[in-house]
Amino acid sequence: MQVDALAIRLRQRSNGEAADLGVRLCQHAARSVFTCYLAVALPIMLVCLALIEVAAWLPTVAIWLAKPWLDRTILYVLSRAAFGQATTPRDVIRARREIWWSQLLRSWTQRRLSPWRSLTGPVYQLEGLRGARQRKRVRQIRAGKSGAGLMVTSAFGLAELAITMSFVSLFVWFAPQGMAPELWELLLDSENQTSIQFVFALAYAITVAFVEPYYVAAGFGLYLNRRVELEAWDIEQELKRARAR
Amino acid sequence: METLDTVVSAETPEGIAIELRPAGLGARCFAYLIDQLVRFVILYAVALPLSFTGRFGYGILLIVMFLLAWIYPVVFELSRWGATPGKRLLGIKVVMDNGLPITPAASLTRNLLRTADFLPALYGSGIVSMLLRRDFKRLGDIAANTLVVYQPEAAPKVALENVEPRPPVRPLDPQEQATIIGLAARASRLTPERMDELAALAAWVTGDAGRSGPDVTRRVLGVAQWLLGRR
Repeated sequence: MQVDALAIRLRQRSNGEAADLGVRLCQHAARSVFTCYLAVALPIMLVCLALIEVAAWLPTVAIWLAKPWLDRTILYVLSRAAFGQATTPRDVIRARREIWWSQLLRSWTQRRLSPWRSLTGPVYQLEGLRGARQRKRVRQIRAGKSGAGLMVTSAFGLAELAITMSFVSLFVWFAPQGMAPELWELLLDSENQTSIQFVFALAYAITVAFVEPYYVAAGFGLYLNRRVELEAWDIEQELKRARAR
Repeated sequence: METLDTVVSAETPEGIAIELRPAGLGARCFAYLIDQLVRFVILYAVALPLSFTGRFGYGILLIVMFLLAWIYPVVFELSRWGATPGKRLLGIKVVMDNGLPITPAASLTRNLLRTADFLPALYGSGIVSMLLRRDFKRLGDIAANTLVVYQPEAAPKVALENVEPRPPVRPLDPQEQATIIGLAARASRLTPERMDELAALAAWVTGDAGRSGPDVTRRVLGVAQWLLGRR
């Protein structure tokens, strides 16, 4: 671990501040994060939306299911951004074996159900441990921080809900003059389940495309803070500086 | 290299730079939910007796609802805590951009503009603004020049391991002293191996440069005791 190379100011932070630092990191690396993430996510989402042909409820569920797998690309970019490195889609493709194909089954099943996946995700993806050692390490990272992980998940879950509903409202707002009441009728009409589900799925897809990187980043912030706490990175950096003087 | 942090610095009229730590989505979201709960409880407590007074009571109830929606946050933000009950519970408060207590005009502005933050639905604009801005302001904060910040918290008391104090081999500057003491304060929460690793980095204070091990760690901890005034 090259503590000196970190592009983040190391200090002990409260859980809330640690999550905010993650968001700040995502803002800082927004160009890398969003180009790489959208390059992967947009095709997946188009496929998910196309599933409307199979069943009206399927697109939303499919996007929701795909999130832990999509998170892996974001986390890869963020983990490099923490060291001040920019990432292009080409870098992601080069590392595809580690990002996309590793732990594939678990990403779609067990991780999906984890209520603190953004906190534990970095252990699974970045630390390269396996089996019992991995489980032990996850327990260590989570100790006393599960609540914080849960808080991040629920806060961003609520944010997702709010922004999805905002997009649905905008859809009605921008209806041609005089059409709005009929549009609501159309949306709420039980006969028209497919059209209403599609509007929601589309709004959800746009929301996930925007919010997910910030959620992953907030969890990554918690993870970094936990390691600063466990391994006293801040002290190590200070000591190295003092020795260099 | 520029290092990344969430703090924003403000300057007091005396020319002193202070660091403010703006609070982001997580803390503010839960503070808001707690405040909604408090409002609901107050409304319920008022509505129950008023329900026996017919139309007059209904009128009063409408006034209470209006006050809860618009005046509740203003009153609490102008109190000496600078925070609504929800914010206090989460350890955050509202201040002006320069760190001064919030003014009545600013509090009114930021709370009236909740309407703008609420649009198009469920605080959508406010949330997007908080995610995009490095100081995590919502639209009302931008207009009122206010900032929601974490309150400074007292550092937890630490018990240092009892080791024999020993002076450092050369005088240390204040920052080096703080680092050595900081290392000793974290000793109880680190694994012994990691502690030895870190102590080896600090071994020069005891003249042990280049060596490591439990003995070196004990001597470094001894220096921390000496620095804290135990002679």
